[in-house]
Amino acid sequence: MEIVVSGLGVVSALGIGTDANLASLLAGQGGISPRPAILSTGNVLPVGELQLTNRELKEILSLPAAQTVSRTALLGMLAAREALKDSGIDPKSNVGLISSTSVGGMDLTEHFFADFMDNPSKGRLSQVRMHDCAASTMAIGEYCGLKGYSTTISTACSSAANAIIKGCNLLKYHILDAVIVGGCDALSAFTLNGFKSLMILDRDYCKPFDAGRAGLNLGEGAGYIVLQRSEDCLNPYARLTGYANANDAYHQTASSPQGEGAFLSMTRALSMARLQPEDIDYINAHGTGTPNNDLTEAVAIQRVFGNSIPPICSTKSYTGHTLAASGGIEAVFAVLSMKHGFVPAELNFHIPMEHQLIPNLQMKKADLRNVMSNSFGFGGNCTTLLFSK
Amino acid sequence: MGCYIRNIISDDDVRTDIKLLIPEATVRRRMSRVLKMAVTTAVECCQGLERMATVDAIITSTGYGCLADSEKFLRNVIGNQEKLLNPTPFIQSTFNTVGGQIALLSHNHGENITYVNRAHSFEDALLDAFIQLQEGESRRILVGSFDEITESADTILHRMGLFRKGIKNGEGAVFAELTSDLTEGCQAEILRVAFPHRVCTEEDCRVAYASGTDTKVIMNTWTRTGCYPTVTSRSLCDSVRHIESGEEVIICNTCLGMNSTVIILKGL
Repeated sequence: MEIVVSGLGVVSALGIGTDANLASLLAGQGGISPRPAILSTGNVLPVGELQLTNRELKEILSLPAAQTVSRTALLGMLAAREALKDSGIDPKSNVGLISSTSVGGMDLTEHFFADFMDNPSKGRLSQVRMHDCAASTMAIGEYCGLKGYSTTISTACSSAANAIIKGCNLLKYHILDAVIVGGCDALSAFTLNGFKSLMILDRDYCKPFDAGRAGLNLGEGAGYIVLQRSEDCLNPYARLTGYANANDAYHQTASSPQGEGAFLSMTRALSMARLQPEDIDYINAHGTGTPNNDLTEAVAIQRVFGNSIPPICSTKSYTGHTLAASGGIEAVFAVLSMKHGFVPAELNFHIPMEHQLIPNLQMKKADLRNVMSNSFGFGGNCTTLLFSK
Repeated sequence: MGCYIRNIISDDDVRTDIKLLIPEATVRRRMSRVLKMAVTTAVECCQGLERMATVDAIITSTGYGCLADSEKFLRNVIGNQEKLLNPTPFIQSTFNTVGGQIALLSHNHGENITYVNRAHSFEDALLDAFIQLQEGESRRILVGSFDEITESADTILHRMGLFRKGIKNGEGAVFAELTSDLTEGCQAEILRVAFPHRVCTEEDCRVAYASGTDTKVIMNTWTRTGCYPTVTSRSLCDSVRHIESGEEVIICNTCLGMNSTVIILKGL
């Protein structure tokens, strides 16, 4: 049975919707800003922030201004609504939702907690009701009027890619007839300071695969795709032909020098799709811009592809690293690249790193038959998706 | 192919010394309470790291995740005005910390995933495993759950009015080794994991799911054992312990404002 992509929805620092995001990718225009403008933090660090307040997002979504909704859920609603509409399927049919997030409602909880710390009887409870990860999924499902099975996944930065895999299984075994899959994460002081404490945030714009890369820029957003069985969809964007979830089993946060997990997820996905490395026309890399990730990913890519490495781009140089959402956003980008026949230009790249993996530097028009998308995360999680025409 | 429970235990059943279960002292020292609770249960369930290394998938579930570490880091962020922060609680605050630690300790390179779906987290993990085993995609899967009580979460949940009418807060970890083949020592078979999209009564469960009149229906054990998101795993663990050969048991759980979930079991 073939699983196909029938709808796309995305929100990132590049804007709301596939049109805005596509235009920026084609023009080589990144969305990372020098410092947070909406997130309340004392940190002056570049972030991939959507330049709209929660109040403005609620207006766009026609939600009451007084309703307390986490920013994570607001971003998720925007992207899921777009994907559902794009697919044209009836939300009342057997449509499910597999969402993912790593921070959940932390953007609200951190406000609650400042008051709660002073006095445990203080703090507005409405600000902590959406703390758990499921709250955002339930809010998105309700907003989109979905009736089918729904769940939430959290495997750090590979979350949305894993949600996509699990959506496939539910279609294959006829638990659902269509499924919205992906993830959402808002910027929060919690995650920004978390990555700062790990010393993996670049003080400048992130430079994936560059010798001088000094870390990631945190981003926010949401990305969802709609999956259906091929017989139920007449005019799909792409087929999801391969996927794999493997574990690096090396370190809780760092990746192994040989990139074992990434190697396994790429090779297992290729074998599932019955494709050879030379069939891949473009790799949307995980490419966070941290010294560790990019080196390991390069080593793993070289192990899989040898001397004939296809064009590579990490679109995190446009959006920042959107954590759980990244696999969803980049699945949308991978499919857009395929549909419009282009490989985006890597931004901020100057000097090749020791492994000489040079990303694609000029936006390139090309017929892309098979596109690979990598997502790796804390806990050794490595997931690869393969989209085919 | 089916979905058989080879072994299922809760954190209360861990008898082996933690130093044997998690040999590396530095790893043990860094682990938070919930991490120790969950990881020791997982290792004991697999009867050691060697057998754990060979499971095809590790599927964990949690409603609230590693709350103590999340809170510790959040308190530092606010209290220290975003300066001089220790990254360890941040690293261990992620929801897949337990799954990642299990893979790391046993060098398991297989599928590794974490469900975080409030009162359905464990049932979602179980459904995933059930599908994989039934369809022959995997032969052995480690499925588990964990949730911890912290003082702050307890205060907040009390303020929200969750623990009225004698309902207590709860916590725990449960891990189960599931296999697709019926082998010697298997304790029960999982016949179905269902999500009825409504709140079910005992009668509803009987009508919709029971195959005979002698089916045992176990409703909402959280009213006795404590209310926490992954409490159904505890109910499953206890049911398997008491199930008789050939007996059918339906576990129905409805809590934390979500629709009911149903697990149908048969004793072996």
